Amino acid sequence: MSPVDPPAIGPDMGADPAALVVSGVVVQFGGVRALGDVHLSVAAGKVTGLIGPNGAGKTTLFNVIGGLQRPNEGRVFLFGEDITKKKPHQRARRGLARTFQRLELFGSLSAAHNVQVGLESTDRPWTLSSRTRRSAGTTVPERLAKVGIGVERDRQASEMPTGTARLVELARALAIGPKVLLLDEPGSGLDETESEALGDLLVDLSGDGVAVLLVEHDMELVMRVCDYIYVLDFGQIIASGTPDEIRTNAKVQAAYLGAQEPAEGDRDPSSESSAVGSEAAPA
Amino acid sequence: MSNFLQYTIFGVMLGAGYAIAATGLVVTYTTAGVFNFAQGAIGMVAAFLYWELTIQCHVGVVLSLFILLVGGSIVSGLVVEGALMRRLHGATAERPVMVTLGVMVILTGLAAIIWSPTTQRTVNNMVSGQFSLAGINIQYQEVLIIGVALVVAAGLRFLFVSTRPGYALRAVVDDPELLALAGVSPNRMSQYGWVLGSMMAGLSGILLAPTQTTGLNIEAMTLLVVSGYAAAIVGRLRSIPVTFIAAIAIGLAQNYISNYVLPHLSQSLGTDLTYALPMIFLFLALVTLPSVRLRASGRLSAVRTPRVATRNESLVGGLVFFGICIVFALVYNGTIYNGTTLLNLGGLVLVLGIVGLSIVLVTGYSGQVSLCQFSFMGIGAFVMGKVAGGGSVAGLILSGVVCALIGALVALPTIRLSGLYLALATFAFADAVVTGYFNDGSVYGGGGLNIGRIVLPGLSFGGDAAEFLLVAAFFVASAWFVLAVRRSRFGRRLVAVSDSPAAYATVGLNIGITKVTVFAVGAAMAGVAGALYGTVQQTVGTSDFDLFPGIIFVLFVVIWSVRTASGAFLAALTYVVLNQLWPSGLGIFAGIGVILIGRAASGILGLEVFRINWPWLHTSGSADLADGAEEDVYVPSTTGDVRVPG
Repeated sequence: MSPVDPPAIGPDMGADPAALVVSGVVVQFGGVRALGDVHLSVAAGKVTGLIGPNGAGKTTLFNVIGGLQRPNEGRVFLFGEDITKKKPHQRARRGLARTFQRLELFGSLSAAHNVQVGLESTDRPWTLSSRTRRSAGTTVPERLAKVGIGVERDRQASEMPTGTARLVELARALAIGPKVLLLDEPGSGLDETESEALGDLLVDLSGDGVAVLLVEHDMELVMRVCDYIYVLDFGQIIASGTPDEIRTNAKVQAAYLGAQEPAEGDRDPSSESSAVGSEAAPA
Repeated sequence: MSNFLQYTIFGVMLGAGYAIAATGLVVTYTTAGVFNFAQGAIGMVAAFLYWELTIQCHVGVVLSLFILLVGGSIVSGLVVEGALMRRLHGATAERPVMVTLGVMVILTGLAAIIWSPTTQRTVNNMVSGQFSLAGINIQYQEVLIIGVALVVAAGLRFLFVSTRPGYALRAVVDDPELLALAGVSPNRMSQYGWVLGSMMAGLSGILLAPTQTTGLNIEAMTLLVVSGYAAAIVGRLRSIPVTFIAAIAIGLAQNYISNYVLPHLSQSLGTDLTYALPMIFLFLALVTLPSVRLRASGRLSAVRTPRVATRNESLVGGLVFFGICIVFALVYNGTIYNGTTLLNLGGLVLVLGIVGLSIVLVTGYSGQVSLCQFSFMGIGAFVMGKVAGGGSVAGLILSGVVCALIGALVALPTIRLSGLYLALATFAFADAVVTGYFNDGSVYGGGGLNIGRIVLPGLSFGGDAAEFLLVAAFFVASAWFVLAVRRSRFGRRLVAVSDSPAAYATVGLNIGITKVTVFAVGAAMAGVAGALYGTVQQTVGTSDFDLFPGIIFVLFVVIWSVRTASGAFLAALTYVVLNQLWPSGLGIFAGIGVILIGRAASGILGLEVFRINWPWLHTSGSADLADGAEEDVYVPSTTGDVRVPG
C-alpha cells in the first residue's frame, strides 16, 4: 500500500520484511523530548525486547506504535504499510495488539467478557449471534486457560488482583488474533511461577509466527525469551543486539544494568501528562 | 458609524462579562478537573443576592460586593469542594457532571421559591453616568466591566503561569499524588479552584445583572453565561487568553447579529434566534474543536456493576409487571386525582419510564451524558401530531426514525471529542430546541398541538384504561429491549467503550460508531416515548419539554439507578408524583438526591438495604439486583488513587 519502503534497521531478517518498523520517530512534550529519532524493527516469529530505565520513553514509543500518540516526526510501518496516520482501531484490525503498563481493562465486565469483546471485535453488525454464542462457549475459556486463568473467569475484572488482571488483558489482546503484539510490562505483579509461564507463552507465540515487542523490567525474563533487544535511554536507542551482546555492552551497563535497580512504582513521565505545560487535553 | 461603535462597545462589554464567567470555568476545570455546570446558577444567585443587599437592605455597593464575592465565594467554594466534590473520588466519569447539574437545579429551585417571579427586580449600574468619546456615549459601567474582565484575565494568567501556587494549581488535575509528594495538598488546591471559580461566577452575574433591563429572571440569568461556556470551550478549558478573546468575539458577534441581522428577519424567527444564539455558539464551538487525543486512563472502573437480568428473568418480570398494570387499570379506571384521571398519570409514569430506559441505555451502559432526552420527546410528539392528523401508527414509527436521525447528528461531535463535550452539546441542543423551536407559536400552535389517541382497525385506545395498557405494553417492550441489548454483543461493547475507550480502540473497535449508534437508538426511544406522551395527554404544550425538567429527570434516574430498568421506572414514578405534590420542589429534591447518592454508581437501588430480593423490583426487568446489592468498591489503579477527570 505504501510506496515508501521501510528502511532496513535492526537484525538481519533476510528477505522477509520486518513485521513492525519504527523509523525516525520523534515525540516532543512541550520542551521535553520524550523520543528523539528512534529506529527499531521487530521481526515476525521473534520476541524483541525493549528495555531501559524508567522515563526512557518506552511507553511513549508504545503509544506511538499503537496510535495513541502522534509523533512529531517519523513513521511507523506494519508489514511494509505506513500506518503513521491510521487510527488505533485501524491498526488493531491490521493485526496490532497491545497491553498497557497501567491496566486498561473493561472493569465492569467479567474476565470472560473482556476476552469476548476482543474475540468479537471482527464481527460485523450482521454477524449472527450464534457464532458469538459458540465462541462464548468454547474459545473464551480456552483463551483464558492459555494465559493460565481457570476458575475466575466470571469475576468482575476490576476486582481482580493486578497479576491476574494483567493476564486477562493479555488474553484479550491475544483474542483479536494479533500478528504483532506489544506488551508493556506484562510481568509486573506476577509471581515466579506465573512469570515463568508467561515466558513460555511468549516463546510459544513467537513460534506461531507472532512478532512480540516486550517492555519489561524483569531482566531474567527478558534475557530468557528475547531474540533481540533494544535499549532505550532518554528517548534514544543507545544499544541493540542479542541478549549476550546487551549483557556485555558497557554503555548499557552504565545506563541501566549496572545502575541501581529502578524502584517499583516509578513511572514513565511520558505516559501521562504529569509535566506542567504538556498537552493536558480535557477528558 | 456611531451606531456601529455603540454596538461594538456594548458587544465588548457583554463579551467581557462572559469572559469573567468563562475564565472561572477554566480555573475550576484546570484545578479541580470538573466542568461546573452550576456556574451560571451561582452567578444568578449572586445577582439576586446583590439585588437583595443593595436595593432591599440598602447596603453599600462595595460592602455588598465584599460580602458576596469574598464571603460568599469562600463559603460556596468550600462547601461545593468539600461536601460534594471530594466525595466523588473514584466515581464514574459522568458523576461530577451530574452533581454540578444537581447544584444548578437546587439553586434555581430555591431561587424560584425565594424570589417569586411576580416581583420585578432591576439592578442598577454599579457606577452611574456616561461620557462621550468620538461621538458615542460610553457608560462608566461598560468601562468598569471591561476593565474588571481584563484585570481578572491578566491576574489569573499571571497566577497560573508565573507563580509557584499557580503551578501547583495546574498540576493537581494531572497528578494529585505526585503533587502530594511534592508537599502540596491536592485537596487544598481544589478548594482554591472552587473558591476562585465561584468568585468569577458571582462577579459575572453581578456585573451582567444590570443588562437585564426587564428585571432579573432566574432562568435567563442562569443561562446568561452559556456564551461563556462556548468561550471556555474555544479555549479548550485550558487557555485563559484564548478564552478571553473568544468571549469578547462571542459578545461582539451576538450584539452585531441581534442589531444587524435579526431586525431583517421575521419577528418570530428573530426572537427565536436571539434566545438560541448563545447555544448555537456553544454548539459551533464544540463541532469545530480539534479532536481530543485518546488516552490511556490508567485506572479501572471502580464500581461493582449489577448482574444483568437473564432473558427468562426479564421475560417473567415484564409479564408480572404488565399483570399489575392490568389490575391497576381495572381498579382505578375512572378515578380522578387533582383534575386528571389516575390512569392518565399512570400513563405519564410509563411514558417517562421509557425515556428513563433510554437514559439507562445511553448513560448507564455506554457512559454518555445526554441532557436532551426531553427534547427528543418533544420532537417525537411533534412528528406524531403532524403526521396523518395525529394518533397514527405511522406517526409513532416516524417519530422514532426522525429522532434517531437527529440524535445521530447531535452525537456527531462525540466521534472526535470526549464525554464532557457531548454533555455540553446536548445541553446546548436542548435549550436551542426549546427556545428557538418549541416556543415558536407556529410549531406547537398557541394552545398546544392536538395529537389524539391511536386508532387501529377494530381497536380503539380512546378509553383511559386501553390507553394506559397500550403505554404499559410499550414500557415493558422497551425494558425487554434495553436488557436484551445489554446482554448482546453490542451491550458488551457499550460497557467496554465506557470503561476504557483506549482499550476499546486497541482491540480494533470503532469508538465513534458505537457511541453515535447507541445515542441514536436512545433518541429514537425518547422520540417514541414523546409520541406516546402525546397520545396520553392528547394535546401537548410548548413548555412540556423544557431543558430544566429534562435535566431534573436525568438526575432522578441517576438517583434511583442509571443501570437498571427499575431505576428508570422509579425515577419516572418519583418525578410524576412529586410534580403533582410539589412541582417547585422537583429540582431541590433531585439536586439533593444526586448529591447524597454521590459516587454510588447504581444509585439507591445499588445500596446495601436493597439486598432484599423484592419480587416487585423484578417487575421492570431488573432482576439484576437479585445477586445482592452492589456497593462501591474502590479499586486503586496500579499506582494508587487517581483522580477521575470530569
